Amino acid sequence: MRLVLSWLREFVDVSAPAEEIAEKVGLRGFEVASIEKLDDGDAVIDFEITANRPDCLSVLGLAREVATVYDKPITLPSSDPRAKIALKPVTIGSSDRVKVTIDDAELCPRYAAAVADVKIGPAPAWMTARLHAAGVRPISTIVDITNYVNVEIGQPMHAFDLAKLAGPEIRVRRAKPGETIRTLDGIDRKLEADMLVIADRDRAQAIAGVMGGAASEVSASTKLVVYESAYFKPASVRRTSKRLGLKTEASSRFERGADIGAQVVALQRAIALMEQIGAGTAIGPVIDCYPQPRSPKTLHLRRDRLTRLLGVSVPDAEVVRILTRLGLRVTSTPDGWDAVAPTFRVDLLREVDLIEEVGRHYGFDRLEATFPVVTTAAPPPDPRILRDRLVRRVLTAAGLSEAVTFGFIEAKAAEPFATAGHASIAVANPLSAKFDTLRPSLLPGLVDAVAHNRRHGRSDVRLFEIGTRFAADGETRGVAVAWTGNGSGDHWSGGSREVDFFDVKGVVEQLCGVLRVPVDFQPASESYLMPGQTASLVVAGGPARGEPAGLVGQLQPAIADARGLPSKDRVYVGELNLDVLSRARVAASDATRPLPRHPSVVRDLSIVVPDTLPAAIIRGTIQSAARVLAAPLVSISFFDRYQGKGVPSGSVSVSVRLTFQADDRTLTDAEVQQSFDTILAALVRDHGAVQR
Amino acid sequence: MTLPDQSAVAAHLAAFESELAQAKSARDAQSVRDRYLGRKNSVVASWMQLIASAPADQKKNIGRYANELKQAVEARWAQHQESAKFLDVPAGAVDVTLPGRVPLLGHRHPLTVVRDELEEIFTRMGFTVVEGPEAEDEWHCFDALNMPAEHPARDMQDTLYLATPLKGESGESGRPDDLRTLLRTHTSSMQIRYMQAHEPPIRIVAPGRVYRRDNLDLTHSPAFSQIEALVVGEGISLADLKGTLLAFARQMFSPKARVRFRPSFFPYTEPSAEIDLSCWQCDGAGCAMCKKTGWIEMGGCGMVHPAVFEAVGYDPERYTGFAWGIGIERVAILRYQVEDIRLFYENDLRFLEQFPY
Ligand SMILES: [Zn+2]
Repeated sequence: MRLVLSWLREFVDVSAPAEEIAEKVGLRGFEVASIEKLDDGDAVIDFEITANRPDCLSVLGLAREVATVYDKPITLPSSDPRAKIALKPVTIGSSDRVKVTIDDAELCPRYAAAVADVKIGPAPAWMTARLHAAGVRPISTIVDITNYVNVEIGQPMHAFDLAKLAGPEIRVRRAKPGETIRTLDGIDRKLEADMLVIADRDRAQAIAGVMGGAASEVSASTKLVVYESAYFKPASVRRTSKRLGLKTEASSRFERGADIGAQVVALQRAIALMEQIGAGTAIGPVIDCYPQPRSPKTLHLRRDRLTRLLGVSVPDAEVVRILTRLGLRVTSTPDGWDAVAPTFRVDLLREVDLIEEVGRHYGFDRLEATFPVVTTAAPPPDPRILRDRLVRRVLTAAGLSEAVTFGFIEAKAAEPFATAGHASIAVANPLSAKFDTLRPSLLPGLVDAVAHNRRHGRSDVRLFEIGTRFAADGETRGVAVAWTGNGSGDHWSGGSREVDFFDVKGVVEQLCGVLRVPVDFQPASESYLMPGQTASLVVAGGPARGEPAGLVGQLQPAIADARGLPSKDRVYVGELNLDVLSRARVAASDATRPLPRHPSVVRDLSIVVPDTLPAAIIRGTIQSAARVLAAPLVSISFFDRYQGKGVPSGSVSVSVRLTFQADDRTLTDAEVQQSFDTILAALVRDHGAVQR
Repeated sequence: MTLPDQSAVAAHLAAFESELAQAKSARDAQSVRDRYLGRKNSVVASWMQLIASAPADQKKNIGRYANELKQAVEARWAQHQESAKFLDVPAGAVDVTLPGRVPLLGHRHPLTVVRDELEEIFTRMGFTVVEGPEAEDEWHCFDALNMPAEHPARDMQDTLYLATPLKGESGESGRPDDLRTLLRTHTSSMQIRYMQAHEPPIRIVAPGRVYRRDNLDLTHSPAFSQIEALVVGEGISLADLKGTLLAFARQMFSPKARVRFRPSFFPYTEPSAEIDLSCWQCDGAGCAMCKKTGWIEMGGCGMVHPAVFEAVGYDPERYTGFAWGIGIERVAILRYQVEDIRLFYENDLRFLEQFPY
């Protein structure tokens, strides 16, 4: 709202400079967009008006705020002959020139009109200068008068050329099926059945509260006009304006709520201005269709509530002063005040709204800073917070940096990762095709991040992300990792090698270990991962036993290539479902285990077995053989795997370190040997193993 | 003796260097040094003595040359001492200046660094950190927050809707009608979920990602992160809100921080205000960061609107509360002086590696 300072001063006698007014009103809730100095010494302050204060989309509304800030009386428009802001005294009745009917009083509770005999021409310079300053383009006397009234008191008005209205009559009704109208901007618009129109006997002549029609537009030859000054239901105007994609000065005021008490006053002001500039005279009485007049609402404000909510005790006199200056009628009651909320303050609906008014003008800067009294201990945080922090610690310690990518991606990036039965969810109203699909997986975003780094000359990229994935059966939290380039840090001493499956698997094993989730890795096939380089994770025990928890593998080069990664890059990725891992965590006792009191014995076993035999099977065979052993087996570790000279092709030499230990005694050589032999025999029997 | 001049300085320095190079031991080297820099009978000392007897117009020059020679010899001597450390090494010694094998260490994302710090500060103040779903329903995101169906915030241009609804969080309620139809535009929806599940007193912060129908450019992003706080109890006041924000600002930004409320409008709070913090770079005097205003806009806040309490079944007569929300990107942009919000989502390691582990 562009507030012209000289215009404001007609309402409030305030001599302060524009900067001061802007700052003070700014601190009462009206953000200042700009201050503009005009050549004639006048100034314009452009205030941003929040959605709850349509009354301040006018000079009068802002004048009330200024009057309250400076504690000065406000000069209201009046029909007193000496009044500065003059209203024409009028009688209310029906006109013999035009008949007004409201068919839909829900969407239009009040419609006032006045007929006038007019002279169309340019408006005087003082009026056009003000309109210019306020950001309105001057057109002609009659249109300028309606705009002037709108800026001044906030009531949008319209003028019809009476000669062009069939009947002549004005009917406020909903649009008929298939009805169209050519609006003032020359565009033919199709109306819908719930849109309110202002019609004559035959057809729609204006879209109520949005824009007038071209057919009855005031032109140079117009002799008689009907001024319209109405109140339209805000929701209806908003819906119509949105549906038509047509936002106007009038619609933006009506949709936030006009003053249902201002329709006749606006006409009186328009007539007074018309006479003042010699642009015409009113004919006959003012028509005021207002079937169910609304009475202003009385709100009760409790002193105690005011103090408790603001946390400061505002003196009684100050409360009364503020509310009265803002235009409320205030009376004292034993516990506080009754305040009549004027019709222009559509935002004042309950006690708390009055508390805000008092607080705002008393000044939030006068509040002492206190700290809320603590009456209970804080409950523990959401377990997901602690879990995610732990995951983040493990992964950063493993050398991966954290990425943050968007929850929505482009459909073609999502498509390869939307696995069977989990179609990705589209955004219904995306602004850009780049963000039109909710991510089914964290990997597409992470792969793009890897590609970005590779494009910028980074050869080693290790990233992870913790985030939400979306599918029709709900959203889940996941963690994904992506790794390309070196498997270990570069060092001058050599020993660097390219990342492989076991680097990523190792990170995932570490993570599951820290989270205390037992998992099995099983060979798997997944369309976006390389066959033979892919494992699925399955919870191996505890409360979520058997649930799939994620995947690890090498990204299909075709997908990497499509996202702009160099084609020779190998990208290893993994993605885990953190919701499943949370459910799968095995509760562990806090008690420590006593350290062993008897020594352990280590024996290495090297066997040649078929190279397709999974290590997990060998481990299983050893474990089941160990159940009956004399010497307890406490650990199995694979420490070498060799193919080549001395090992037949199709076979592999596997070396396993076996650790035996008993809690209650020192093991004898014979016991250990016997156990070792039993294990070897089981491997020979089950897998045809040959000892090396 | 002729008076020292520029060429004498150069000549002595060259002589010093060659004598030092010929020194066979640390003791030799030390005696070379002493001949030039020693307190008595050294070159520099003798030049200094000349000052007393020199003509008045020469005193200043002699002092300057003596000083120049002294500094040059000292610098050369310091270099010599530094490299001498490496000359005498035991057999099998490693070159300790070669790089070590640095274990790989990743970095937290800057938005996480900020979020962790915010969570820590509020945890210390007795707040509980909670999280909620990103896909929401209209009721939690709007209706319950006093934004009825006709509210402009629900217009298509602000909110991203889903083409097909998602099921509510698995295991939460399992109700077949618990369907999520939009991406939350603010974390306030979590406040509603928390109040539905808990009775006052409440003191929570809810961080998380939110979504808006916005284009990605230098200063805007269609997805960003927020942290919101909610305090509900008996007798919670606007002054308490101010005190809480002040305590936060002093821990997060500057011990001298001040808080200013500028009245504003949000449907879910009343009174509502914009939070301004005194600029921690200029302490309010005005600088580039605060655009010469002395204040930094931090977010929005207010007293919970009674209609919100009514929506979750709290008695607004008995309970009052406050809420505020700030953008985590906004804090990160200010703290790390990031010019382009897109840097947070590109995940360029050259950027990420500038943040702590
Ligand atoms: Zn500053």
